[in-house]
Amino acid sequence: MNTQKMTFSSFIKTHWKTIVFLGLLLIGIALANEFADSYLRRILNLCAIYTIVSLGMNLVNGFTGQFSLGQAGFMAIGAYTVAIFTVPVEMRASVFYLEPMAPFLANIELPFIGALILGGIFSALVAFLIGYPCLRLRGDYLAIATLGFSEIIRIIFTNTQTITNGALGIKGIPTISNLWWTYGIALLVIIATILLVNSSYGRAFKSIREDEIAAEAMGIGLFKTKMTSFMIGAFFTGIAGGLFAALLGTVDPKQFYFTLTYNFLLIIVLGGMGSISGTIISSFIVTIGLEWLRFLDEPMAFGLDLPIFRPGFRMVIFSLLLMIIVLFYRKGLMGTNELTWDFIRKKIRSIQSRLGRKTSIDGGEKK
Amino acid sequence: MKKVFALLLCLTLTVTMLSGCGGSSTSSSEDSDVIKIGVFEPLTGANAAGGELEVEGIELANQLRPEVLGKKVELVVADNKSDKAEATTAAARLIEKDGVVALLGSWGSSLSIAAGDVVKSNEVPAVGVSCTNPQVTLGNDYYFRVCFLDPFQGVVMANYAYKNLEAKKVAIIQEVSNDYSVGLAKFFSDSFIELTGDENAIVETGNYNTGDQDFNGILTNIKAANPDVIFAPGNYTESALIIKQARALGITAPIIGGDTWETNEFITVGGADVEGAVMSTFFDDTNPLTEEGVTFVSEYKNAYPERENVAAVSALGYDAYNLLLDAIERAGSADPQAIRDALAETVDFQGATGAITIDENGDATKTEAIIKVVKDGKFTYLDSVSVE
Repeated sequence: MNTQKMTFSSFIKTHWKTIVFLGLLLIGIALANEFADSYLRRILNLCAIYTIVSLGMNLVNGFTGQFSLGQAGFMAIGAYTVAIFTVPVEMRASVFYLEPMAPFLANIELPFIGALILGGIFSALVAFLIGYPCLRLRGDYLAIATLGFSEIIRIIFTNTQTITNGALGIKGIPTISNLWWTYGIALLVIIATILLVNSSYGRAFKSIREDEIAAEAMGIGLFKTKMTSFMIGAFFTGIAGGLFAALLGTVDPKQFYFTLTYNFLLIIVLGGMGSISGTIISSFIVTIGLEWLRFLDEPMAFGLDLPIFRPGFRMVIFSLLLMIIVLFYRKGLMGTNELTWDFIRKKIRSIQSRLGRKTSIDGGEKK
Repeated sequence: MKKVFALLLCLTLTVTMLSGCGGSSTSSSEDSDVIKIGVFEPLTGANAAGGELEVEGIELANQLRPEVLGKKVELVVADNKSDKAEATTAAARLIEKDGVVALLGSWGSSLSIAAGDVVKSNEVPAVGVSCTNPQVTLGNDYYFRVCFLDPFQGVVMANYAYKNLEAKKVAIIQEVSNDYSVGLAKFFSDSFIELTGDENAIVETGNYNTGDQDFNGILTNIKAANPDVIFAPGNYTESALIIKQARALGITAPIIGGDTWETNEFITVGGADVEGAVMSTFFDDTNPLTEEGVTFVSEYKNAYPERENVAAVSALGYDAYNLLLDAIERAGSADPQAIRDALAETVDFQGATGAITIDENGDATKTEAIIKVVKDGKFTYLDSVSVE
């Protein structure tokens, strides 16, 4: 009894900052949910969804060192599962107006959370099927196979008219407009990833990333470990895909081109391969940044009528900023570091000492 | 060196931030004598060409009619990057941040469908320009459109094939990854089977994907089936290649398609082989159906003298803007709800592409479509078909 109390109070003592931070975060989400307009809420929702997908991708690419490019395909599976199972039965005839929905699916309607989890499970199962042959491959082959897979999924969804409504896509998915779904799930995924990465599984992932042969020599089952990481990543991505579908209220195969994957690749490279906090930070930077640069698309961006400020210009500036970041932070914003209280303290100290040294040098020169 | 760059980076960030804030504060302070209309179109990405043409039409209409109810009309153009997620944020941004009273757009039905939910939940009306998919307005009281629908166009072409070309057997080549093409092919075949009364009137159906280059497999099957007419709705590049390869294989049957063919690329890719290709479209610049159409064509040619022909989607953009302004005038206020109600009551609006009456779904009821043919490397007016 006594020891438990001790551990509880010591837990509070060591983690009070984190607890306060989480509390503030929850209050912040509640405030944003109450007072933000639908535009801001939509962007914040997208940030959370991109965070989940990128974490799933980083788990495989950053922590386990397997280069997978199948994110768009896994998202498509999750998104379509939610779309197929949550569109109200009475609306389906009008959505599937070219060819009616397959009879074995037409009357099944699941609650949102059920469809979401089912989407994650389907993604993970498909990941198992692809991973079974592919994870035995080394190097670039996994990247090629997963890239091919995401294209195959898209073409399958295009051609299964009675299940996915083909190229017409599905509309009328009941939408989520509050922040709790996306942020609640994002928080769960973040916590799960942190726990996973710091467990013995996580250490096995990292050992494979560093050196496969050495890891195998230490008794780590390469295939099983890679498969675990790959399936968990796919599960997260599937869930995020489901949230994405519910945010937009419509899905069609064209959303899931392989170029979608590059968004997430950009996010994890920018944030740092193998950094959870880096991934979260860069998900927000990329999503908000692109929206925030939108004023560059307007012809009167700086009060002057300059011909370069026309639609598309924000993409140019965005790419320039990315190039600068990649040039000076070659390992991404965070590298493999995590944003912990220790990390912040060290940073502040190093900045302080640098500033201190600089002023002393300046002082010396003056004399 | 590194420090200089870091400083530069900081400087750009602060400058952009300041100007970003500045822009938003000025726009919110002067909304008393300005009515803002949002335009969300794909201006970058895969559909940029179509979006650009629509914006041209809308901007031209704005220049000619810059005021309504004694207030200046300001267009706020937002790029939706041909991407669904961007389409929803662009629409939400226009409504929340720029405070527009109504939206115009977009090219591409899927982008409009995605934004439909934002429009509906914010109760701001939107007028679609060339989104022909029935799902855009279905179950959405706030979405209207000025173009005709895929079912109508399918029926028009089926009638043309049956009556004018006297076809009994038809083969269909559809772009299976394109909702437009799949929908059009379906409505065409339904209508054609009904007209002929023959269950087996569609002798062959070929599927291809966007970006395909080689259609010899499909065309060999079609040649064996020996149809009277081939209906091939789809993207202009692929369609032009299909026609080229069909002629090379010795298929002489007429090949007909939908409004997407009406681009200069169709002729440059297809060359002499696309001579005689027939398509339905919204608008004919050499023979406008209405008074408004004549004005539009002459103004368009003044504004863009380098263009060879006037794109139908530009005319639709022009109509969408005028329809909206008409509704604002009739509503007598710039309140989104009042505009919506006025839009829903539109009867016999004289647009450049014909008279528009909005039905209970929010769709433009149009009974007439233009049939054009490629002749001497130009799109030439052939016929107009009306269908009840």
